Amino acid sequence: MKLFELVQKLGLKVRCAETHLQHEVSGGYASDLLSDVLANSQTGDIWVTLQVHQNIVGVASMKDIAGIILVNGREPNSDTIEKAEAEKIPIMVTEMPTFELVGKLYNLGVTGTKK
Amino acid sequence: MTIEDIRRILEAEVVAGEYLLGQKVATVCGSDLMSDVLAFARPKAVLLTGMTNSQVVRTAEMADLAGICFVRDKRPGQETVELAESKDIPLLTTPLSMFESCGRLWKEGFVGGSEYED
Amino acid sequence: MISDNRISKVQELVYEIRVGDVMQSDVITVAPETPMSQLRGILKKERISGIPVVNGDRLAGIISIEDFIKWLADREEDCSIAEKMSKNVHTLYADEPLTHAVNMFQLLGFGRFAVIDRQDKRLLGIITKGDIVRGLLKKLEIDHVEGEDIYRHKVSRFFDNILADQVVLLFQYDVAGHDFKHAGEGASRLKTTLRRLGLAPQIVRRVAIATYEAEMNLIIYTDGGKIRVRVGPDEILVIVRDSGPGIADVEKALQPGYSTAPEWVRELGFGAGMGLCNIKKCANKMDLMSSVGKGTQLYIRISTNDGAEREAV
Repeated sequence: MKLFELVQKLGLKVRCAETHLQHEVSGGYASDLLSDVLANSQTGDIWVTLQVHQNIVGVASMKDIAGIILVNGREPNSDTIEKAEAEKIPIMVTEMPTFELVGKLYNLGVTGTKK
Repeated sequence: MTIEDIRRILEAEVVAGEYLLGQKVATVCGSDLMSDVLAFARPKAVLLTGMTNSQVVRTAEMADLAGICFVRDKRPGQETVELAESKDIPLLTTPLSMFESCGRLWKEGFVGGSEYED
Repeated sequence: MISDNRISKVQELVYEIRVGDVMQSDVITVAPETPMSQLRGILKKERISGIPVVNGDRLAGIISIEDFIKWLADREEDCSIAEKMSKNVHTLYADEPLTHAVNMFQLLGFGRFAVIDRQDKRLLGIITKGDIVRGLLKKLEIDHVEGEDIYRHKVSRFFDNILADQVVLLFQYDVAGHDFKHAGEGASRLKTTLRRLGLAPQIVRRVAIATYEAEMNLIIYTDGGKIRVRVGPDEILVIVRDSGPGIADVEKALQPGYSTAPEWVRELGFGAGMGLCNIKKCANKMDLMSSVGKGTQLYIRISTNDGAEREAV
């Protein structure tokens, strides 16, 4: 499933790197701990988190994450947006909490099992 | 739905509060940030988290949660286990990731605590 | 000076002490067939305002000075006490905790209760508000040495307030800075106490969450501070004070997601810039005053009357 399809199906709002939504999403990772994401996420994962500071972009870029979805209505900081534009990492936002968003992603076929 | 259902669906192991498996679960909350849990989790929610320090149990106590399931095979220290038992909060640990755990529970019909839920 | 941990000691004792421990067991009683005309002499001689009416060893009713005055005022014929006494008597069991007695006084506004045995319903004694205060003082004197008079005065006033439905509880504790390990212990004790007082669970939950977040802020950002909780009949007020470092930009600090927390705090699951928003969400009113280098004061007000509509918190 491609990133833009998820955006459409789940009504996500894209906050940056809108021209980079054609990435294929191969799996999902949900965590609010950067060290955990660094250690355990996989290339091509969609990352679901509450963290909004600019370090999330560094982590996503290092791990080749397909995109970041911020939950519970959290908005990225302005320096986070700037950095994500530069690194071409799409950031999306939703009012849904992690559990519901992941549940809906899961129903669309995005899973969190190790490949 | 009960803690026992969570244990079964997530292939989890009981770390504390074996006697509390029958406790009712209303909703599920997945988070590693305790302030987020305090703000959004509903009473009787089960918390999925990768954090294992004793403040996770404190958070569950304050927010009247039904129990905690640690993801990615994380195991809490003795202090956390003891606090959980003294507060009657069951602890589980699952080998699954947060993402996979949320997905499976959602598929089984568990709901989130969101005010924005349809 | 009296310290607040003594007051919370009073709180504990209210649960520990039984009605039977503080009641007067040497009770003057009258038989139901005693004529009303003899009551004046008994009330006057014993200097009491109410007498249990006892048939054998069973409580039949209570006759009070008010009943006597009413009988006088109505200028009725002489009759037996049994005709004028209150028969529907609220009683307490000797093995009930004192807190039940306090609640009953509060609820019914009576001056006294007859105390009976739970099993055989025999009259064992009588208890007044004064007995409760005296009983508590007696217990407290065991671990109390100095400042007796001030202390006695404060405790009894505190207790009068409980009965008058004014200040119900004062609760204060110190929070040490950077002591993550013990974070939440104060909030936990507070939660237990509020539950015991019988406040609605959703109110207790909001107070607990707000206080816990405030405690966490003291631990993360300051060298420690004080949390003082005042539980009144309509409102719970939590006052959080520290002596530094203070918040440079209060408006910014209130924005969701704004945080100056160090990495170690974030890795523990806190410091994501949600604490003050959370407190605000739990509160009916929140006031934050801070000056850099001096310290911060946070006032959290939670109404105890609007549980239902705020359940979503």
